[in-house]
Amino acid sequence: MTTITTGQNMGPPIAPPGISEATDYSIAPEQVSLWQDAWRRFRRNKLSMVGMVVFFIVLLTAFVSIFWTPYSLYAQGLGDVAAPLTLQHPFGFDASGRDVLSFIMKGAQVAVVVGVLTAVFTSVVGIAAGLAAGFFRGWVDTVISGITYIGYGIPNLLIAFLILFITNRPSIFNVIIALSVTSWMDMARLVRGQTLALREREFVEAARATGTKNLPIMIRHVLPNALGPIIVQATFLIPAAILFEAFLSFLGFGLPSPDPSWGAMVSAGLQDRFLTYHTMIIPSLALLITLMAVNFIGDGLRDALDPRLKR
Amino acid sequence: MAAILEVKGLKTQFIVRGGIVRAVDGIDFRVNKGETVGIVGESGSGKSMTALSILRLVPEPGKIVEGSITFDGRDVLAMNDDQLRKFRGNDISMIFQDPMSSLNPVLKVGYQIEEAMRAHDRFTPEEAKARVPLLLRRVRIPDPERRAKEYPHQFSGGMRQRAMIAMGLSNEPEVLIADEPTTALDVTVQAQILEQLRDLNKELGTAIVLITHNMAVVANICTWVVVMYAGRVVEQGPTEEIFRSPQHPYTWSLLRSIPRIDEKLGGKLLTIKGLPPDLTNLPPGCKFHPRCRFTVDRCFTEEPELMTVGPQHESRCWVQMDNVADRDSDIREVPVVPEAENAAV
Amino acid sequence: MSRGTLIYGGKRLLLVLGTAFIVSTVTFLLVHSLAGNPFTCEKNPAGCQHEAAAYGLNNNLFIQYKNFVWNLVHGDLGYSYVNQGVQVMPLLIKEAGNSLILGLFAIIVTIVVGLIIGVTAAIKQNSWIDYSLSSFVVFGYSVPSFVLATFLIILTAIALPNWANSIGWGAPEQIPLPAIALGLPYAAVVARLTRASMLDVIRQDYVRTAWAKGLSSRVIIVRHALRNALIPVITVGGPLVTAIITGSVVIETIFGIPGLGKEFVNSILNRDYGIVVGLYTFYAILVGLANLGVDLLYPVLDPRIRYA
Repeated sequence: MTTITTGQNMGPPIAPPGISEATDYSIAPEQVSLWQDAWRRFRRNKLSMVGMVVFFIVLLTAFVSIFWTPYSLYAQGLGDVAAPLTLQHPFGFDASGRDVLSFIMKGAQVAVVVGVLTAVFTSVVGIAAGLAAGFFRGWVDTVISGITYIGYGIPNLLIAFLILFITNRPSIFNVIIALSVTSWMDMARLVRGQTLALREREFVEAARATGTKNLPIMIRHVLPNALGPIIVQATFLIPAAILFEAFLSFLGFGLPSPDPSWGAMVSAGLQDRFLTYHTMIIPSLALLITLMAVNFIGDGLRDALDPRLKR
Repeated sequence: MAAILEVKGLKTQFIVRGGIVRAVDGIDFRVNKGETVGIVGESGSGKSMTALSILRLVPEPGKIVEGSITFDGRDVLAMNDDQLRKFRGNDISMIFQDPMSSLNPVLKVGYQIEEAMRAHDRFTPEEAKARVPLLLRRVRIPDPERRAKEYPHQFSGGMRQRAMIAMGLSNEPEVLIADEPTTALDVTVQAQILEQLRDLNKELGTAIVLITHNMAVVANICTWVVVMYAGRVVEQGPTEEIFRSPQHPYTWSLLRSIPRIDEKLGGKLLTIKGLPPDLTNLPPGCKFHPRCRFTVDRCFTEEPELMTVGPQHESRCWVQMDNVADRDSDIREVPVVPEAENAAV
Repeated sequence: MSRGTLIYGGKRLLLVLGTAFIVSTVTFLLVHSLAGNPFTCEKNPAGCQHEAAAYGLNNNLFIQYKNFVWNLVHGDLGYSYVNQGVQVMPLLIKEAGNSLILGLFAIIVTIVVGLIIGVTAAIKQNSWIDYSLSSFVVFGYSVPSFVLATFLIILTAIALPNWANSIGWGAPEQIPLPAIALGLPYAAVVARLTRASMLDVIRQDYVRTAWAKGLSSRVIIVRHALRNALIPVITVGGPLVTAIITGSVVIETIFGIPGLGKEFVNSILNRDYGIVVGLYTFYAILVGLANLGVDLLYPVLDPRIRYA
């Protein structure tokens, strides 16, 4: 038995009648907006904060590599692939004797460009389609939902490969298109569902009653209220795109040389496995750490923005 | 008569963020062989936790922290996992409030009953299989062979509770604990289930512990009544005695709050003012004093023990209702509030 | 299986065939509307013309499509454009067998690992297993299958240098590595769902009933809790099969497994139109059948679900 309850704290102290109005000192709790609250929750998630830091480093590396890499990507024969790692070449050399660190840095650039551009592109298309389908309903909804329904039954990868097969020229742009063709559908489905629910709410009714036109209602009233899930979904699009590009490059469908992709580097490193492992492990880890970082950010955002969906 | 189940000083608590919830706070009662005991109280009085404690089924983060539970001379709280497993459903079985959710939806009803027997070694597997339709017939489920092969969703609520009773009786336990067995059912079905329990008690001699918030149910089938309030026993005794001369103000108020068919129309009903106490922060003295209309000074500071007030009759109160002369005068001041939850506790 | 289920299954089967037909049509038209054909006409224009004629590529698109459909309904997917004389249908059926073996083992890895971790995390809630699970889940959907495969190859090379060559196909000891690489990442998803579902189920009244009956904890967890917990977990069955098919493309390439996935990569790299169209048709049927199989599992696990 730990505590013994006594009569002293049987509830809030009640002020005698008559003086309560004069000395009413109760302080209203500080008003916290949804976003501040979400940010507070997000900050508490350690894994997400680590993810933020890691992803920031990746972004920085990508930016630096535009202007500078330790060695030129074209400089071959700098050293032997089986040579031990040194301070000058902390990640060693690849099979052509090129500096692996420089390639990893440049690879970050490719990953970031593909990841972020795809996420942005996909989100814009998906949000527009989802808003239109959910807001106007009728034949617009029938067409858009029909397309997403068909797309649901076919593995995204196969559709993407078909697009690449038809375009027949690997480039960052084509890779982004190939991925966007399928992944906008998830975003559209999400936004459609949110819009269908939101359009019945009182504030939308009120806006309509005051004569607000459709487009402003969608952008000013519906969209901001659906932003939480949209941000979460968009965040998860980044690692999906990076993963997909690496996947294509690994299989040899990626970007033309010398644009280095981590996926292609893993593939090349696999060929060196009887000599050394670092050419395979280093790009693999770069990829894995980046993907995990962004996924942790996404997990944290989901928990912060939608407390109902815990784990 | 010999006691088959004896509970002494039982305390069950939940450690939560806001403090300690004293769900059961030191209760004593006993169940004799073949007896029917009613445990009565409001929601939150600790009656269901008492039942779960007896089978050591208190859900996390709840814990039995003190007291003893003795079944047939064996200490239930000292049993290891295996002994406990053999005890549950074999010596004491239990049926629950909501028959809709108490049966596993993906297993056939007959199988669930058979499984209860297979878990123990009273019957051989062949006997267990053969007993299923017999048990279902005993609880008056028509066409038992066919019904045994059906799933719970194909049963009505009353039938599911009958199936639960059949399951509870399958190992011929000494005691059957029924936790609000009729609350979730239609009124007509309630009467049938209660009748069923009473018949089974007579036919098989199984002692029944009936947990309820409904005094009328107790009057119907129990020979002994335990009234609980704030995790304590406040009054207990033979049913007739308690109903004829309740001595604790809480019991007295409960009985006065039931509409009686023999009272003339327009008669006033008593309501118990206030809410059940906060179990994390109990009042000092008698736990009922904030809601009691017969308090004396010591009620506010000193908690009474269970005191003998008549033959086999105990009450936890400084005041005996028999000694309160003007006890009915109070009722006239109370406005008629025909709220169902107050009328039936 | 009830009559309603059979009718439902039949209808769905028709839908699968319809989808496969649409998919094959779309791929056929897209692939064949591309300029040029796979035969290298620069070096040998005459031979090229001859070969193109043999494949009917000189006819107009409508006639080509008409022939394609005619052959398709007779179960004939034509010939490979690159390896001449090789019929697509028998080739794909043979390769589908290998992919099926790999896929089944991968799914076993996914289900066994996923269920064990999910159930353990739920039972030992707030234990280190439970806490590690969310990291494992993120690892699971972060790790690219080829990265996991390469790590596994290195690990076996270091740990078991005398073990038979892990790359290749045909020997039983060559199955585990690709199956783990293919199945493990998705186990994380299964584990997460199982955990959530188990946590819900073990608080249900019927589980309390099972304890009150005196059943052993093993029986309660497996027969009473897990059986119910699995019902929502099956929803990932469809996506799981899709993920296994997608993943097999890279895993079969790495491990040199002669299956549909490896064929897929090769046919696209070689621009083998015949096989590409055939493969898309095949995959459409596979995904459709897998989803149908998952839907038919529901009434088996949950008697309350019936297809009427």
